[in-house]
Formats: sequence, C-alpha cells, structure tokens
Amino acid sequence: MIKSYKLRRHVANGLIYLILAILGIIWISPFVYLVMHSFRAEGLIAVDDYLIPHEWTLQNYIDLFTGAGGNASINFPRWFLNTFVVAIFSCIISTVSVLMVSYAFSRLRFKSRKKFMNVGMILGMFPGFMTMIAIYYLLKAMNLTGTLVALVICYSCGAGLGFQISKGFFDTIPRALDEAATIDGATKNQIFWKIILPMSKPIVVYTVLTSFIGPWTDFILAKIIMGDNLDNYTVAIGLQKMLSNDFINTYYKQFLAGSVVVAVPITLLFLKMQKYYVEGVTAGGVKG
Amino acid sequence: MKKILAILMAGVLTATAFAGCGGETSNASSGSSSNSGSSSNATGVNSSTVDYAYFGEEDNVKLKVWAPDAAVNLVKKQIEEFKKTYSEKTFDITVVAQGESDAATQMLNDASAAADVFSFPSDQLNKLVDAGVIAPVAKGFKDYVTSENSEDTIKAGTLKNSDGEDTLYAYPETNDNGYYMVYDNTVVTEEDAKTLEGTLAACKKAGKKFIFDAGDGFYACTFAFTAGAKIDGLEDDGITQKFVEYDEDEAVKTLQAFAKLIKEYKGTFTSLNVKNVASGFKNGTCGAGIDGSWDTKVNQDSLGDKFGAAKLPTINVDGEDKQLISMFGYKYIGVNGSSKYPNSAQILALYLSGEECQKQRTEELGWGPSNLNVQKDKIVTESAVLNAIKDQSQNSCTQVNIASTFWTPMGNLGNKLVADEWNPDDADATRKLLKDTIANVRDEG
Amino acid sequence: MTYVEYKQLNPFQRFAHNFKKFILNIPHALAKFFKAIGHAIVRFFTGIGKGFKNYGVTFVKGDWATKLSYLIFGIGDIHKGKYYKGILFFLTEVLYALYMIFFGWTYLQKFNTLGTVATTQGFNELGMPVTVYGDNSMLILLYSVLSIVITILVFAVYISNIKDAYRHQVMRAEGKKPTSLKHDVKEFLDGKYHITLLSFPTLMIGIFNIMPMIFMILIAFTSYDQQHLPPGTLFTWVGFDNFASLFNFVDSATKATTFIELTKWTLIWAVVATFTNYILGMVVALMINKKGIKFKALWRTLFVIAIAVPQFVSLLLMNQMLQTNGAINIILSYFNGGVNPQIQFLNSSTLMARMTVIIVNLWVGIPYTILSMSGILMNIPEDLYESARIDGAGPVKTFTKITLPYMIFVTTPQLITQFVGNINNFNVIYLLTGGGPSTEQFYQAGRTDILVTWLFNLTMGSQDYGLAAAIGILVFIVCATLSLLIYNNSKSMKDEEAFS
Repeated sequence: MIKSYKLRRHVANGLIYLILAILGIIWISPFVYLVMHSFRAEGLIAVDDYLIPHEWTLQNYIDLFTGAGGNASINFPRWFLNTFVVAIFSCIISTVSVLMVSYAFSRLRFKSRKKFMNVGMILGMFPGFMTMIAIYYLLKAMNLTGTLVALVICYSCGAGLGFQISKGFFDTIPRALDEAATIDGATKNQIFWKIILPMSKPIVVYTVLTSFIGPWTDFILAKIIMGDNLDNYTVAIGLQKMLSNDFINTYYKQFLAGSVVVAVPITLLFLKMQKYYVEGVTAGGVKG
Repeated sequence: MKKILAILMAGVLTATAFAGCGGETSNASSGSSSNSGSSSNATGVNSSTVDYAYFGEEDNVKLKVWAPDAAVNLVKKQIEEFKKTYSEKTFDITVVAQGESDAATQMLNDASAAADVFSFPSDQLNKLVDAGVIAPVAKGFKDYVTSENSEDTIKAGTLKNSDGEDTLYAYPETNDNGYYMVYDNTVVTEEDAKTLEGTLAACKKAGKKFIFDAGDGFYACTFAFTAGAKIDGLEDDGITQKFVEYDEDEAVKTLQAFAKLIKEYKGTFTSLNVKNVASGFKNGTCGAGIDGSWDTKVNQDSLGDKFGAAKLPTINVDGEDKQLISMFGYKYIGVNGSSKYPNSAQILALYLSGEECQKQRTEELGWGPSNLNVQKDKIVTESAVLNAIKDQSQNSCTQVNIASTFWTPMGNLGNKLVADEWNPDDADATRKLLKDTIANVRDEG
Repeated sequence: MTYVEYKQLNPFQRFAHNFKKFILNIPHALAKFFKAIGHAIVRFFTGIGKGFKNYGVTFVKGDWATKLSYLIFGIGDIHKGKYYKGILFFLTEVLYALYMIFFGWTYLQKFNTLGTVATTQGFNELGMPVTVYGDNSMLILLYSVLSIVITILVFAVYISNIKDAYRHQVMRAEGKKPTSLKHDVKEFLDGKYHITLLSFPTLMIGIFNIMPMIFMILIAFTSYDQQHLPPGTLFTWVGFDNFASLFNFVDSATKATTFIELTKWTLIWAVVATFTNYILGMVVALMINKKGIKFKALWRTLFVIAIAVPQFVSLLLMNQMLQTNGAINIILSYFNGGVNPQIQFLNSSTLMARMTVIIVNLWVGIPYTILSMSGILMNIPEDLYESARIDGAGPVKTFTKITLPYMIFVTTPQLITQFVGNINNFNVIYLLTGGGPSTEQFYQAGRTDILVTWLFNLTMGSQDYGLAAAIGILVFIVCATLSLLIYNNSKSMKDEEAFS
C-alpha cells in the first residue's frame, strides 16, 4: 500500500516535471528566439524557412551602440541613458506618492475618505489615449514638451491612483504598533517614517519595480510628447521607430539587439526582486 | 515670468491645503501680424534661386527641415549649398529624420512644434489643407514651379482653398510614389513578368514566393482598380470618395479571376508586408514581389545583378489580359503655415524642389523626379526602375484626395480574396464583398 | 440556505453558490448604487443652499475685516494676526486675477461657441503666403476647462477665507489668540497629516488625470472630427449626436453595428481571457509549489522572464512568428513533411484569430497569475493543514477542502481587477493582430478589435475624436460601475481592519 502510494507520487511528480519542462520551453522560446536572431548575420528582416541563424555576429550590437550601419538619426546609447534617468526619477516620485496616498487611506481617518478612495479607483479606468492630446497641450503650456521632465511628470503623476495594493499591505500591519507609538508621543508623521516604512520593504520594492519598468515599455504617450526631438527619445520610442517603414530594412536586426539590451537588465532586476514582488502583491492585493 | 507665476500659483494652492491644479500660460495661437491680402504684383521668378528681396526683413533665419532617414545626409549637403547661395543671410537650419508617412500626423498633432519645411506623400495633402497647417506656394514662385514640373504633380498638388480658388499647396519633389514589380531575373524572365500568371508560374517552378501585401489598402486597392472600380477624387462634401462608373459584372469576374489565381498558387502567392520582399530576395526565398519605389535601393542591394523591374503584370480575365491598375502618388515639399520665417521657408522649399536638388536625389537615392528637365536626363530614361514606375504611372489612380475611410475597407477586400476560406467561384459573395467595400469607403450607413 | 447547509457543500458548489448570489445581487446593488448617487446629489444641493445661508449670515454678523474679506481675500486673517494664512489667501486672489486677465478669460469667453473666427490664408506684398490663425477650438476647450477648474478651486479658497475670517473673529471675541505658524505646521504633521500626504498627489492627479478627463468627456459632445480639425477649421457643440450615432441603426448602421459587435466581443474576450488565465495560472502555480517538486525558483524564473521583456517587443515578435513565413509555420512544416502549411493565424478566420489572441494572452498573463498565486499558496496557514492531517485527510481531500476554497476566497477581488484590466487590454490586441482579420461590416475596426483598440484607431487613425470620446465614456461607465459595486461589497472594503 505504502509502496504503491510512493510510486504513484513518483509518477505524478514525474508527470509534473514533464509538463513544467514543456511549458517552460514554450514560455522561454520567444525570448530565446529574440536573443538568437539578435546575433544573426544574414538576411534583412525575416528568414523564411529555418529557425536557427546560419551565421552569427556581434555586428548588430556594435552597430546599435556606435550608430554605424545607417544614418546618424539613431542614437541608442543616448536613448538608453534617457530612459534610465526618466525611470529613476519617475520611480522615486511614484513610490513616494503611492506610499503617501496609501498610508493616508490605510491609517488616517478623515472626512470623505471612502469617497476619495472610490474616485481614485475609477479615475484610472478612463481610456488613456483619449487624454493624451490634452496632456500634450497642458505640457506645452508649461513649455515642457519634448523634454525628459515632461516624461517624468507623465509617468509619475497618476501613480497615486495605484494605491490599492500598498494600502492592502498597510492594512495588515497591526494597529497596536501605531497606538503604542502615539502613547509615547509620536506624531503621525513620525509613525509613517519610523514605524510603517521600515516594515514595508516588500511593498516599496514592488512599487519601485513596477514604476521603474513603465518608461521602458511605453511607446504611445512618449512618442506624442517627444515629437521629432530624437535626442530625448526613450528606448521604447526608439525601438518602435526602428520598425517604421523607412527604417526597418536597415535597423531590424539592431531592433532585436536593442530589445535584448532592454530586456536583460529588467529581467535581472525582476529575478533579484522576485521575492519581494511576490510578498508585496500577495499581502496587498488579495486580502479577501 | 508667466511660468514662475504658474509655479507660485500651484504652490499657494498646495499650501492652502486645497487639491487642484496650477495655472500656466502661453500664447497659443500666434498668428502672423501682417495680412495685406492684396497681391501686389511681385515679379515671378525663373530659377530655383531668387532675389534677396523675397526674404523681406528676415535674417538670422532659424528653420527645421524634415526628411526621411535615407535622405538626411543628402539634404544636409543641399542645405550647405543653399547657405552658400544666399551667403548674405545667416541661417541656422537643422535637418531631422522624420518618416514621410508620419509627417502629417505630427503636423496635425502640433504644427507649431513641427518642421518649417517637410516632405510628405500626396495623399496627406487634403488633411494638411483642411487643418490649415500647410501654407500654399508663394505667388511669385507658382508659375515657375508649374512650368518646371510635370503636369500631374501640379494637378495633384492643387486643391481648392477656403474661398474656392484653385491653389497650389506644395512644391513637387518626386514623381515616383508608387509600386511596381521587382523580380529575381534568374527566376522570372522579362517575358514572364508581363503577366501575373507567368510570374506566378515561374516562381512556383523555382519554389519561390511571390509577395504582395493584400492586407494593406495601399496595395490591395489594385484589386478594386483593376476590376474597374477606380476612384475619381472626392464628392463635393470634401470627405466622401467618388468612384467612376463601372461594370459590376465585369468587376466581379475580375475579382474572381484574382481569387482563383491566388488559390491556384497558394504557397507561392503570399500576402506579407512588403518589407519581406527585400528580405526574401536576400534569403533567396522570394522570386518576385510588388514593392514601392522607396525600397528600390534595398531590393537592388539584395539582388545585385539579378535585379529586375517591370510595371505591374496583367491578369487574364475570360481570355483577355487586363493590366493591373495601381495607386500612384507624388511626394511634395510643404511649408508649415505657422513657420516663424515664412519667406525663408518658401525660398528653401523652392530650392530643395529645384532641378539641381531633384537631380541629386535621383542620382544618389534613385528617386524619380517630377522636374521635366531631369525627367529627360539619361539617368532617368535609362533607368529600368524609373521606366517601370513611369509605365505603371500611366496605369494608375492618383493618390490624392483619398478619403480617410479608404484604406481599411480596401485592405479588407484584399484580405478576403487571399483568405484560405474564400471561395473564388462564389460570384454572389464576391459581388457583395465589392459592394460592401465601396459602401464602406464611402462611409454609407 | 442555512449556514450548516452551506458548510456541507463542496468548494465548487460554494463558489457557484456565491457566484449566483453575486449575480442575483447585482440589481439590488445597482439600485443601491443609484440611490446613493441620488442621495449625494440631493445632499449636494441642500449643501449649496446651506452654504448660501451661511454666506449671508456670516456677512451680517462679521466685523469690518470679515466683511472686507468678502472682497479681498485674507483681510480678516491678517487683521486678527494670522498673517501667513492671510497672505496666502491674498496671493491666491492676486494670482487668480492675473491668470484670468492675461490668459484664462481670452479662452473662457469663447467657451459657449468654441470660437467663431476662422483661419484665413492670404498673401503679403511679396506674394508670400500668410496664414492668419483664428480661434483654435481645441485650445479654447482645453484652457476653458483649466480656467473653470481653477475658478472652482479659487472659489473654495474664497469660502474658506470667509469662514476662517469669521472663525478668528469669534475666537478673538472669546479672547483666544490665533494659532502660530509653528503650531499649524505641527498640526499638519499629525492631526491633519492626511492633508499633507494627499495634497501633492492630488494636485498631480488633478492636473494630469482629472482635467484631461473632463476635457475628453466634453469632446464627446462636440463635432471634433476629420472635417473639423483645428487650427484650420472650427468645431462646436453638437449635444448627444456622437452617442446617437452609436445606437442609430438607420443613419449610421456601420458604426452602430461595429459598436454592438465590438461590445459583445469585448465582454467575451474579458471573461474568457480572465478565467483561462486564472484557472491555468492556478494550475501551473500549484504544480510549481507542490511539495516534492524541486527547482521551484528555476521554474518560476522561466515564466518571469516573459514579464520582463517589454510587451511591445514580445508581442511584435509573436506577431512575426505567427505570419505565414514565421517561426510557428516553420515548426509546423517539420511535422508536415517539410511543406510549410501556410496557416494564416491572424488575418483569415475570425475564430482562429480570436483563439490565437486568447492563447497568446495566456502567455502574457499566466506569469503574473503564478507570481501572485505562489505568494498565496505559501501564505495558507500551516495549522489548517495540520488539523486536516490529524483528521486523517489525504492529499486530494486537503486540496479540495483547504487549498482550493482558500485560493478562490482570497483571490476574488483580484479576478475582478483582471476582468476590468482585460476590457482595457490594449497591448495584446493592438500589437498582435492590429484588430485583424478585417471585415467590411465594421467602421475602422476588425474582428479582434475590442472597444479600446477601436477607440485608438478612431483617434489616431481617422481623427473621429468626438465619436471616440463617446465610446470612451461608455467604457468608463461600465468599468467604473462594475468595480465600484464589487469593491464596496468586497470583504477587504467592509472590514478593513480585520487584520489589525
């Protein structure tokens, strides 16, 4: 009896390994395909009847960073730096706003708190690109269009609306801590900085991670704001531009290389921070 | 000052603990100051360089030019020449790479941040004029431009202004914005290339593809045009596409002939983005394809000596060979209506569209000129590509005055005809498809 | 059903029961929702009435400084010695006046017509073209909205200035001194800390979310489309015409059909995409987290990489792999005797394209589900399992009695968020199929287009801004109502303090 139970478990586990392996391959294969073809030497865009490149080269990466292999309008290192700067600043501002808003909603009790929360929740649901022209002209009135500052503003201004998850997280921190501190004479401000924040590493990392990634992937709003200001492009618009009609023949393989260059740091970051991400999203997002 | 004011305002609002928004300012609609309206008879010019008088008061001119990526370096060179020509004035001219198809979108988004001088394809002209962001060609230059360039390009660049007068809105730049057939001459012979059947058979025999982007309305309208449903500008309302009278039975037969041929050559006839043509030539998987003039260079590079070019082939409908009719347009150089240096911008546009510059573009980029003198030059008359384009242009509908509802239904027509489940023998379905397509283009119902 | 009966059900029945209860509850909840809105409106107007009354009463009772505060902000406060606040009030008024004189009023005065002066083109004495720009309807609308919002805020400052003046007057009568700046700052760090925390985010959201949103909502009532493009052409108010064209099967049949059909597909898509992601994601998460399975981190990593690649890259790549000359067809040709089957995944059959989208969406979505599920699985209280084991429950029983109910219970709100997210799932549709396969029955949309991607085509493609805004509003109303209902009836909202 015991033996058969053990056997059954072995068979079951073996099956699970098999399924996981197959699924793993499926999930990873587009990425592998991307990496492989970013080293491809032959062909222009697609190669039609085989999967693995015949000739391998580093030229695509070299061209990407030196701007050779095309006209001078592609400046990937600059775009990479732009994106990095924008990502850093918008992630700082976003994180601070999210934490402020969610702490206020979780810990402080004030008039119309629930109304505020409801409004905050639904505001994010208005389809974004409808408002892009308006945002563009508001930024223009502030003389900010075409600048990186505008991007930072756009990526971080709405961050406060994403308070649900971190509010959920704060809700799980025992109130007794606050009460004890209040009795000791601490103000709400001190409680926020000295007690709650140090306990919120998972949610801080979660927020930092999600807001850091945004600038690397947005290609619609950023394009509208940047217009023809090539110097201030981010990698997302830049990569998108490489796919446009008069660029794609020359730049397609560089596009693949560029995508790898963007994906690798984010992947590493994600892997490193995975644990906190899971903790943050679990504690904050799913409290039934 | 106003910005500081705005910041202060925002600060005060925060400080008084009220949520809200700060103010900000800018002069939004900066109109030009003088509008005499009267046309004091400025004497016309007779070359692409003009008298300093045309600059008016302008000096220390700052201009931005948009050119497609491939042309950026050449345009930069031409601008250096321009500066030398007008050495008495100082210029600060920047050239920015901007895809031509994107130019109109950007102009419409915010013309005041766009280029002063930009090149664009003819189908965008309507939108630009409607939105009031493009300035017409200067009065004194108009006659010269008209006499120098081919009649078609002038005709297509002329629209009615708000007073109903015919106005030339932009400087013709090329006479080549269309597609033709490119082929690997080791696969397809010159004789094969005359008919679609021959081309497909030759490709099939060699196990190579024939690529045609049936999902893109720009190419797929060939089906409708060849069938007889050609376009004829816009209706009087200015947005509805007008079609010529056509024989519906004949049209249905033609579409069926296309569908049959496509089905017969499934695997050879492939509907893919045109970018796959050059790619396919390079890999040796593509025998022939329909591709645009802007890809000529990359196709030539991919094929080398094997490069062949011809006008679109014919298709056999009930024993009669019918020439494929394509969409054909021109490229123009336009001047931004909100340019801060309108006179200089006009002079620069005139210069860039002039004979010398067009010739340089033909030599270095292979673009087909609209200038009559350059058209007679031997680099044009002896170019297989430019001849193919010229031949095709005589079997085409002009890409101007195209309704914005045109492309999607046409792409759909193409998609349907090449789809696996489409039945070429079903005349009723074909008729319905054609009718629906036309109705959709006209946005009826 | 009694509690005992409920407890005897298996988890699926329980889920079904809860689900049924939820569905049946919707009309009730909706009624409650609209009643609440009604109440809010009534309260709003009675509030205004009371405000007017107070406004008058305060004026009668006020001393000269309070009375002067009705005209000049902050006089009352300054007179009573509350200098910094009085100066801030005063500055607000000055800045507002400057703003209105130099900027706001030029636009606001044209708000009712959205401009009357058309753009004209002519030639100057050199024969050079001159464009004289008239009114720009779009900017008039945008900056009017800005001015109105600012006016409302300044009005609020105005009212609080009066209240504050009167409050200080009363305080002085009682012999109390106004509080010092230091005291107030301290107060903002403690008792009024929520104001300190919320004002900056609210300011940002106000400018870059709420105002553009109001602007877009108003666009839905204008004729802003391809025939009325500023700055060349003016547009104006048209009432509900844009909404009407979405439901008018006589005059604008194609648009109405498109709207109805896309709404149906959007809902189907959202339901299917959410549930497939949820169920399959849960299955994979369970497999990874099963006891005895090694290399948990490795398995998870394989899936996480899919998140880390920017979607516009991975989806464009997928799009290429699904073309007739793409990787999938090449792989299939190995099973097809080397002949490429030329399957048209994305632009031929509607069913095929829709299935492809849903499957690719699994690829995009499952990693997220795995991440959040893994956390929950690790979080299931160990004592639950402990007691189950003591009761002699086998692995199957512990799973159906503990793991599954716990997961479903805990993740229901997440499910709803995902549902709303899928209604607005732009990337997958736009980047993968671009809306195709195309059809002659729709206006500017294809068979896999959902409402948001249609909206995108209408704004960026055919410049039908008015129509697009109308659709945007409808989508927004549906999403907002749905999530408000659910959140306010969910456990996490009802007992926020359950854990603390």
